[in-house]
Amino acid sequence: MKKRILSVILATMLTTSMVLSGCGGGGQSSNEGGGDQSATTDTSNAENDNSAAANTGSESTGDSEGAAPAVSHDTELTLEVYDVAANYQGLQTGWYGKILKDKFNIVLNIIAPQVSGDGEALYQTRTAAGNLGDIVLLDNADMLECIDVGLVADISADIQNYPNLMKYWEQIEKFNAAIGDGSGIYAIPTEMNTNGPTAYMKETVGSMPRIPWDFYSELGAPDLNNLDDLLNVLADMQEAHPTNEAGDSAYAMTLWSDWDNNSIENVNQLTKWYGQETLDSVLIGWDNTIMPLTDKEGAYYKMLHFFFKANQMGLVDPDSATQDWNAACDKMKFKRTYLVWNDWMQGFTNSPEIGAKGANYMGIPLADMQVFQQSDYYYGSGRVFGIGSQVSEENKVRILEFLDWLASPEGLDAQHASLEGLIYTVNDDGTYTLTDDGYNRFNVEIMIPEELGGGNWTDGNNQVNQWIGASVDTNPNTGEAYDPVLWAASIEKNNTKTTIEWKEKFGAENEVEYLQNNGMMSPVPSINITLATDTTDIGLIRSQCKTIVCDSSWKAIFAADEAAFEATWDDMCTQLDGFGWQDLVKFDTEKYQPVIDARKAAN
Amino acid sequence: MLHKLDKKKWYSFKLFLFVLPFIVLVLLFSYYPLYGWLYAFYDYRPPRPFSEAEFVGLKWFKSLVENPIKIAQLWQVLKNTFVMSGITLGTSWIPMLFAVFLNEIHCVPFRKFVQTVTTLPNFISWVLVYSVAFSFFNSTGMVNSFLMSTGLTKEPILFLQSSDNVWLTQWLWLTWKNLGWAAIMYIAAISSIDGELFQAAKVDGATRMQMIRYITIPSLLPTFFVLLMMNIGNFLSNGMEQYYVFQNAFNKEYIQVLDLYVYNLAMGSGSYSVSVALSMLKSIVSVILLIVANTVSKVTRGESFL
Repeated sequence: MKKRILSVILATMLTTSMVLSGCGGGGQSSNEGGGDQSATTDTSNAENDNSAAANTGSESTGDSEGAAPAVSHDTELTLEVYDVAANYQGLQTGWYGKILKDKFNIVLNIIAPQVSGDGEALYQTRTAAGNLGDIVLLDNADMLECIDVGLVADISADIQNYPNLMKYWEQIEKFNAAIGDGSGIYAIPTEMNTNGPTAYMKETVGSMPRIPWDFYSELGAPDLNNLDDLLNVLADMQEAHPTNEAGDSAYAMTLWSDWDNNSIENVNQLTKWYGQETLDSVLIGWDNTIMPLTDKEGAYYKMLHFFFKANQMGLVDPDSATQDWNAACDKMKFKRTYLVWNDWMQGFTNSPEIGAKGANYMGIPLADMQVFQQSDYYYGSGRVFGIGSQVSEENKVRILEFLDWLASPEGLDAQHASLEGLIYTVNDDGTYTLTDDGYNRFNVEIMIPEELGGGNWTDGNNQVNQWIGASVDTNPNTGEAYDPVLWAASIEKNNTKTTIEWKEKFGAENEVEYLQNNGMMSPVPSINITLATDTTDIGLIRSQCKTIVCDSSWKAIFAADEAAFEATWDDMCTQLDGFGWQDLVKFDTEKYQPVIDARKAAN
Repeated sequence: MLHKLDKKKWYSFKLFLFVLPFIVLVLLFSYYPLYGWLYAFYDYRPPRPFSEAEFVGLKWFKSLVENPIKIAQLWQVLKNTFVMSGITLGTSWIPMLFAVFLNEIHCVPFRKFVQTVTTLPNFISWVLVYSVAFSFFNSTGMVNSFLMSTGLTKEPILFLQSSDNVWLTQWLWLTWKNLGWAAIMYIAAISSIDGELFQAAKVDGATRMQMIRYITIPSLLPTFFVLLMMNIGNFLSNGMEQYYVFQNAFNKEYIQVLDLYVYNLAMGSGSYSVSVALSMLKSIVSVILLIVANTVSKVTRGESFL
């Protein structure tokens, strides 16, 4: 008996150890894939050195542009991308993943603080561990901090070899000149263009009230003078259409809380209707004024009150405080909400077919509006790409090659226009036209053939969600912008019943023209400069204050009555003062002064 | 003689070896982390490494209580902690009663069924409990759909966003999750009560309630007090998972207990130094509570447990 037990134990141990060693082997081979310490890596490293040497040779023969070192794509490389813009966490799959796999043999593993639930914590634990990611996409201030402690690699020796990145050299150089002693190149700004620093190419503004044209017409398309008029129109709409066509409940507005940071992001977007941008603890005006967020004359209070009033009228989706962006986005796609604000949200609500029915969501001006709009990000959007300093030399070259492709016409086409053939076709004159699937890609599930990566288009789209070259940048191959919305063919196709009726009512080609003609908007020059980073004291104040601002703002929106709203606001201000709000406002006012100065200088 | 001593020594050493792993564990997991207390005295902010942080002395301790508003917030957090722990302690007799009544059910399949159903929630994580709560109580959840379709309410009631009765509802969730599990100990204790006692009581004509009152409950009291004592030790640590998943802008004022506050400060906002300072205060309060309890025990029972 004893012997039998012993043999059973031995057998178990043997199996376990075999399984375990099997696992170990698996882990090792995947490590090889990562290309860290394996023999294959060494060989390719050697190759790489050779090619680099060959490269210097060719440079010395007078090749002016310089060529990127040849890179071996034999081993699959998984890159961790720490990405503050992403709304998706995990491996990049689908059609875009397939392009990267085929072209560079790389797989992107996206780490998304926005999705993880506690982005700040994720950032801090990863930076404290000394490895944020292989590719990092950060807000300017965070990037400065990371460069300062050596988490980001200096690419000044390499970048000259990458012609597509060098197209944006002016902007890259300008941004990096302000870092440290100004000699290194660490960060590549995003959404840059080559159209010049004061251009505004788009036909839409970033934020204004956008409501379904058919419902608005039903109500006689009344002129809207102020927010109260807008609320009344929305109330009438909701009364006439309490559900969408499928019978799901609909509300005039739906909010979401997962984008909140220093204050409620939905309110921040709406402050732009009245000429102010919310940045940290201050409001910066289109007229270069600056005031605290808590100023009752400011747009934050005004728009918070707007949401409160809407909720009093039963216009706010009760799920608002608990749902996330994806849930809210679904409601936009299925017409379960009647007010959207950002122009890109129209991607979810509009299409040529819907437009032909007169039902696209359209920007409706309020007479007392003064829209805050930056000119196109010539110098960059405020977020920057960098390469982790822990990345091996060999992998760094592969990453640079990838980043260069991201900035190339081919890469920008893939990011902004997607798949040739399926999403767009090339005309005889070289310009592009969207296919039917292309027009519907944001609001209908488009299935992708297996050979192109499979799955649906949305899941396979570029989940990095940030671009080195802006969509308004001009594609040298077509002479048009990369953004499909701005293609001549799209403008033609989008000239639907909705647009024609809109033009007739407002007497302008598009909303930008209308707003500019009526003196309701003058683009603020776009500036991308590095700003002061928080000290520990300010950091602590900021973190405690932002919880108070966000919590109180949500409470204020859902307050029972006007008195409760006022009480919540006052209580918020008292609490904020106790936690050092005045110091924070002073710090932020000084921090943004250079931006204002630069804007004044650019005007 | 010498030989004998050696043998004794060797024997002690062997005994010591038995204890050694546990000493190592305690050192590793209870004392080594105390090294982290250093952070409370430095100006530490990631991504800058700790080695470059500046020594600031008691700055963070002072900043916790530097003005009435901060003290008020800290006081609210402590109040939440004490009230919720207090409610839990004050109602810790409920599982005992539950076990007693469960034991009185004579239909065995039904008894087993009730016991299983009440024990199962203990094995569900708080995240899942919250998703259950969410699907029941959100604006389009089961409860609201029911209320609205029967015409009892017109607008959905936002249960989860309510700031009313947070302490009570949180206690109900906790009880729902823990009741069956906490009763197991008592059920075991009941089964060890001498059956002859009940038989004798029956012969003497005792009713069921009398048997419960004079036999079952008195036999359970020792178990009850041991468990109560253990709960007092954890008075300040009423866990954070539950409150973490249930917290939102509307109920945070009442739901934020000490552990959650420390977490929100540190992980939510990177103020590690301050939250370390705060958690040190927690340790100090715990030690004070322990000493008080010990003194009370010394005075009332004449013996101390320290």
